[in-house]
Parts: sequence; structure tokens; C-alpha cells
Amino acid sequence: MKRRTWILSGVAASAALVVGWGAMPPRSRLGGVATLPIVDGEIGLNGWIKIAQDGAVLVAMNRSEMGQGVHTALAMLAAEELDVSLAKVRLIQAGYDKLYGNVAAFVGQLPFHPSDMEPGAETRLVKTGQWIVAKVARELGINMTGGSSTIADAWDVLRLAAATARAQLLGAASLQWKLPAAELVIDDGVISHPASGQKSHFGVFAKAAAATPVSTVALKEAKDWTLIGTKAPRIDVAAKTNGSAQFGIDVRAPGMVHAVVRHAPALGGSPGAMNSDAALKLPGVERVIRLGSYAGSTDAIAVVGRTYWHAKQGAQALQVDWQAPPAGVLSSAAIEQSLEATVRAAAKEGGGFAYFTRGDVAAAAKAGDVRVIEQLYRAPYLAHATMEPINCTARVSGNGAARRVEVWAPTQVPGAARAIAARAAGVDESAVTLHVTYLGGGFGRRLDVDFVGQAVRIAVETDERAVQLVWPREEDIAHDFYRPAGAALMQATLDAKGVPTSLAITSAGDAITPRWMARNLPALAGPIDLPDKTTSEGLFDQIYAIPAQRIAHVATHSGVPVGYWRSVGHSHNAFFSESFIDELAFEAKQDPVAFRLALLKDAPRHAAVLKLAAERGGWGRPLPAGHARGVALHESFGSIVAQVAECSIERGQVRVHRVVCAADVGTVVNPGIVAQQMESGVIFGLTAALYGRIDIEGSVVRQTNFPNYPMLKLADAPRIETHLVPSTRAPGGVGEPGTPPIAPAVANALFVLTGQRQRGLPLVA
Amino acid sequence: MKLTINGQPHEVADTAVSPDMPLLWVLRDLLNLTGTKFGCGVAACGACTVLVDGQAVRSCVTPLSSIGAKPVRTIEALGSAERPHALQAAWIAHQVPQCGYCQSGMLMAAAALLAKNPNPSDADIDAAITNICRCGTYPRIRDAIKAAATALRTKA
Repeated sequence: MKRRTWILSGVAASAALVVGWGAMPPRSRLGGVATLPIVDGEIGLNGWIKIAQDGAVLVAMNRSEMGQGVHTALAMLAAEELDVSLAKVRLIQAGYDKLYGNVAAFVGQLPFHPSDMEPGAETRLVKTGQWIVAKVARELGINMTGGSSTIADAWDVLRLAAATARAQLLGAASLQWKLPAAELVIDDGVISHPASGQKSHFGVFAKAAAATPVSTVALKEAKDWTLIGTKAPRIDVAAKTNGSAQFGIDVRAPGMVHAVVRHAPALGGSPGAMNSDAALKLPGVERVIRLGSYAGSTDAIAVVGRTYWHAKQGAQALQVDWQAPPAGVLSSAAIEQSLEATVRAAAKEGGGFAYFTRGDVAAAAKAGDVRVIEQLYRAPYLAHATMEPINCTARVSGNGAARRVEVWAPTQVPGAARAIAARAAGVDESAVTLHVTYLGGGFGRRLDVDFVGQAVRIAVETDERAVQLVWPREEDIAHDFYRPAGAALMQATLDAKGVPTSLAITSAGDAITPRWMARNLPALAGPIDLPDKTTSEGLFDQIYAIPAQRIAHVATHSGVPVGYWRSVGHSHNAFFSESFIDELAFEAKQDPVAFRLALLKDAPRHAAVLKLAAERGGWGRPLPAGHARGVALHESFGSIVAQVAECSIERGQVRVHRVVCAADVGTVVNPGIVAQQMESGVIFGLTAALYGRIDIEGSVVRQTNFPNYPMLKLADAPRIETHLVPSTRAPGGVGEPGTPPIAPAVANALFVLTGQRQRGLPLVA
Repeated sequence: MKLTINGQPHEVADTAVSPDMPLLWVLRDLLNLTGTKFGCGVAACGACTVLVDGQAVRSCVTPLSSIGAKPVRTIEALGSAERPHALQAAWIAHQVPQCGYCQSGMLMAAAALLAKNPNPSDADIDAAITNICRCGTYPRIRDAIKAAATALRTKA
């Protein structure tokens, strides 16, 4: 199917879903005074802002804090427009109204080329597609924290909600004091009339403000910002240095018991006959429960005990005849071989779904006096390994229509978590109360809700006591939803001057989105897999001015459980594309930075980022003997990042000494958090680049815990500097874009050091 | 069984525990001291680091029987809101935590280091801090340890 045909058919299909056409301003997501119920005298002014009796501002928090700093950044957006300090902002968990859904993440899934999406100069197709997907996402209202989309999604809506609340409060004060609103000023949540000396905090006006209509609301201009753009300290840092921050695993309830899960070792396997006598004889072991599949989990057995340790002892004492998966046996080596064969075959016949075409690739390859360069790249499966092991706490009480479920979950998708909790307990979703805790890392793993279903299923049998399910680390590594393995055949032509005239990429690997939808949003999963942008992102959307391109992907369905992993398709595709462009520079006998810049004449933002990284990274300057630099430039999630990595090989190990990171992330809400996220992305990406590999043999994952699935440690961490290109564009993402460039930057440095080009991950010395 | 944790005596019923039960689970699941974290269960990640008699130990593999009368110190007693430990102050000043899950263990490992070595070099920090952080806070941890060491030396 041609790309255009697919998009247009998508338009038609989406239209059928949409109720009510028309303009869709951010206002449509404001909500009303009744969206947030009155609790303890706190008055809701709209769906996002409440005012407490003491004048504090309460912000409905619809996104999960997993380290990326969104609780602070969103609080900053609200505080800015309301003219209060961050200290006066408190967060309350948002509910399930559709206005809390994530529109930006879904719009970000559209497979458009960046050159067609320049703000203000979008093509008609782009405009139509973005409008329709935004409309559908607005109607679906799926709340998820992912896709580096939080700030982009909240940028218009939350600021407008706060500005509207501010206007209501000023209006109420104006009416009460019988003074023109224009003569009133707000300072840290206190409204005053300087001429008369009258002064009262927000709480005094909240009730009247809720009944005060406002007509026009203007957002602050950037020049008037006092908080946005500052390195405001994170609001969660104190609690995260004294042990008081509550993660899912820290939930404690009276009489709570603990559960440990043991999955069938083979992915998709199941427990057959079982002898639990020895387990149940152990002190502190209470019961043994069989668990079916929840949202894609492998069937398992749970053991309930007094503490995690008692339950774990019980789980180890179980004697189980584990059954192999009925669908056949999975082998990552066989899958990786098959991906290679697939891309080679598809490249020959112009197969796969073409996400981007421009010019005539075949003609370019046949032109006289061109050099053809062709290389195959590969990437392995990866696990997420969040520091906080997978866990969920649940309590089921009452029976029949009176049954109620309470869940405490570290989740990126509270709506999907509530839905599976309801299914597992056999109740309506309205009978479920779900508390989102801090997440000890997410990285996409907590976009899946398998563990929520399991915990609630166990809680059905714990006699109305809360139960905390914790997965041992071995279960986490061996029963993840993995970053899919991938392969790509990269083909390019260079003319006599070394200028690239064509680029053809044929990649293959499992599509994630349709599998994730089937697990977590089954009502929306379709009978056939639509093209999944995440498979080809980082390949089809390259900005380099290469006249002929065909970038296609063959979506496979291996049977391995696959999921979103920080930066998703970009995580391996950037390694393919930015290593290959380095190969072309070498073949053209040109400097890697100069070669890229020559292809960025029409992409000034990308060129500026690359130049900044090169300049601050000392590109071209002398280095100690045995050191070399490598560079990579990659756009993802609306942000452009370039990294220069200085590397050496010491005692047979790759050593990364320094990484200089330059980024254009649009308007910066908090440069301190942006720098943190760039550092985070680099270290996360380095672990994958240097160590990351999941092997599956006989459907069993061979890696089990940190000793055989190692992580980068402090002693091996580089110094990292972040430099931002100033921008007035709307904010892009920051949680993920730091990850993709590091693997190719290091690989490119290793090529300089060794003369050997590495085309697979993890990299070796 | 009697334990001294953060200067307070704690009594754990002998029926609730056995001598081989790791200290981590006594702290977390019996005493509700949840600041100390579970990460791997095999002493590989350091999230469960506490001080036993001033030494950093990985409590997920430290059997209760090995504790005896030795004092145990956890993150909850590293400092207080009024008087934060120099490391906690440095952690805040350097905005170290992201998800925050590993930070209790990082802080306790760093506290053990500074108690023995008031002026640690980069190599000393490398050797002492072998905990895992998935958010990549390592460079800031290094800077914060040095800042806390300086602050403690200046004060002394």
C-alpha cells in the first residue's frame, strides 16, 4: 500500500470515530468548575486548577513522575500564569476525564517527514492528518506518560487553564473590592490593590472566582516569564534524598501481605501440574495462586506470604511441571538471522512499507560514475530494567455489586491500569480507585499493565487484605516486553565528488504499537496491523539533503513480547543511520562534521546544533594519544540533539571519557531538568551501546539479573556537558532525545580508533 | 530478636523471622522502614545499602543472624529535615535525583565513604560507589560527594 493511500484511508476511518467536527482550540480541554470535585473546601476553577482555603494552588497532575521532572515542569507552567511561587503549588492526581488524555503523543505517531511539518508551513496532508489525529486523541482521552510528550501536550492547555483561573480570581477580587481589575496586582498568590492597600490571598476569592465568567484570556508573553526558562529546583528532590518519597513498592497498608510471582520460564509458557506442599509448609507462606495471562503476561504462579522474603522462599520451593508455549519455540538468534534475510530480500524487490520516498533511487544507482555503498546493520533485543522492580499493590473488598478495588500502581497509563484492575476483579471501572505513585524508572516498561492485573487477581484471594506484588529482578529481566531486535540494509550512492546521490534503507523488525494496543487498549486494537511509525522513525525522517531516497520497513511479528523502550525506534535506528552517514563521510574522504553540514544547507536548526556540539566538543582539536572523537546528530520527539563522544580503549574495554551534548528542544521550561535528561539519555544509551543484549533460547531469556545483564556504573560514566540552542518554538521532548545519538557517536569514535566499523550492538573494544 | 536501628531498639518476634532472613526485608516489610530499597536481591545494585556498625552493607544479602547488637543506620536517619547530612544538602544543591529510587543506597554508600575518607579522589569514589542508577545521575553524584566532602572538612 502506498503511504498516501494509507494516510487517506486512515483519515476516513478516523472520521467515523469522531463525534462533532469543528474547531478544536485548547479551550476544549479546560473542563469546568465541576470537573474537580470540592474536597476540604478546595474550589475547582476548571479541570486543572483548584484553589485551597489557604490560597495554595492545586494542579491536577495527569502525568507520572518517573525521573523526567514533569511534576516540576508542569507545576512551573501553572505557577507562571498564576503568578505564584512553586512552593505554593500542590499536586493532586488527575481523574479519568478525557481532557487529561495525551493528544501530543498520538499526533507524534504520524509518519510525516520533518521537512513537511515546519510550523506555519505544513503541507495540506500534514495539516489534515494532525488535525484528525488530534481530534480522535481528544475524543479517546487516553492518559499516558510517554513519547517525551508531556510538556508539548500541556503547553497550551495547562497554561491556558492557569491563565483563565488567574483571570477568574482577579475578576472576583475586582467585584468584591469594586475596583477595576487593571489596578490589581498578584504577587505569589496574593492579590492586592497598591493604591488602597487592600490585600488578600487567592483562597479568599476562590468561591466567587468559580462563579466569575471570563471572556478573553491572554497568556503571558515570553518576555514576562519569571519562572519558565529558569533552573527552578525540582519539587521532588528533598523527598528523594531522605527516603520519604513513596514509590509503588513503598506502599504500606494495615494487615498487608506480600506476593512474589514466578512465571513459566518460557515466554508464553504455562504452569502444568504443581506440587505446592513444600512451599506451603514454610513459615510465613500463606497460599499459592495460579495466574493466567494479564495484558500479555506469561502465565505464572504467585505465592503469598508475610513478607517478600517469605513469599520468595515459597516461590522457590514450588515444584512445577512448566509447559512450553503452544505457539512454538522462540530463538533470538534465529529471529535475527531471519531479519537479515528479510531485509536482503525486500531490498531486492523494493518491498516493505515505504515511509518516505523522494526522487528515483534505482535511477541514481544506475547513473554513471557513482560508487555504491551497502552495509547491513543489526540491533539486539533489550530489557528495560527499571531500578524499582515491577510491583503493584491492590486490595479487593466486598462482593457482588458492593465489590470495591483499590490499587496503588507505579504506572505510565492510569486509565489502562484501572481497566485491567476492573477486569481482574470482575467489577466496573467506577468501582476501582487507583493511586499513581512515584515510578522508580519507567523507560516504557510501565506503559504495560500486566502486573496490575496480576496484583488485583491475587488480591481477590487475600480476604480483603491489601497485597503487594513484587517481581524478583529475575522475573523482570526474563519477562519483559523487549525492545525489538532489528536489522537494516543501508544502500547509498556517492558521485565522483563524494556527494551522496541516493539513500535506500530497508529495515525489518517487530511492530510495537499494534502489539501494545492489543495488550493495553484491546477495544481499539484493529484486526490488521496498520503501519507503525515507530519501526522506521530515525530512518525515514532523516533531514539530510539526499536527492533520491526510499526508506521502507518490513514489519514482522516474531512472537517475542515487544514494548516501547526509551526512544523506541530511534534507539537502534539512529545507530544505523548515524553510523552509516559516517561511513559515507569516510568513503567520501571528508570530515564527518563537514560532510553532514554540507547536507544540512536547508536545515539551519540541525546545522546549528551540530556546529555547537562540534565547537564545544573541541572537534578537530588535538587529543591525548589513544583517544578519538565521534559525532552523531539525531532528531527525535521534536528535538534535535548532537553529541560528540571522546573515547579510548583501555585494558580491552571501551571507555567514554567525555560527551558534549548540544540540543535544540524548542522553548525550554527548565534548563536544569533538560540538562539532567540529556545526561540521563546518554548514560541509558551507553549501557545499551556497551552491554545491552537479551538472548532468547528455547523461548527462555538467558539473562536474569544485573550480573549477566550489566549496567554502566559510576566509574565508567563519562563527564557530560549540555549546551542548548536558544529557541522560541513550542517545546519539544527531552526525556528520550538524548538517548539515540550516543551509540553512533561512540561507534564512530571507535572506528577512528580501530579502523574497524562496527555494525552491530552492543559495541566491543 | 532485638535490633538497634537508627538509635532505637526494635523487637522483632522470633516467630516472624528466621536467622537467615535478610536485613532488607526486616527493615522494609516488618518495620516499614521503606527508604531502603530492593533492587536485585543479589548484592549487585546497591539500592539496599545501609550502614551496619558504620560499614556499608548490601542488606538484601545480609542475614539477620550477622547483625547481633551492631547498630544499623538507614537513610531515614542519615540526617533530618532541620539538620540534613552534608551529603543530602549537596544532593539537593546539585539536583542529583531523577526517579530517585537508587538514591538512598547511593547516599548511604557515600556516607560510609566520607566517614572513612574525608577527601576522596575520583578513584576513591569510583571504588566506593558501585551502585547502579538507571537514570544516569552518576556525574552529579561524583560532584555532590566532592562538594559534601569539602563542606564537612570546612566545618570540622
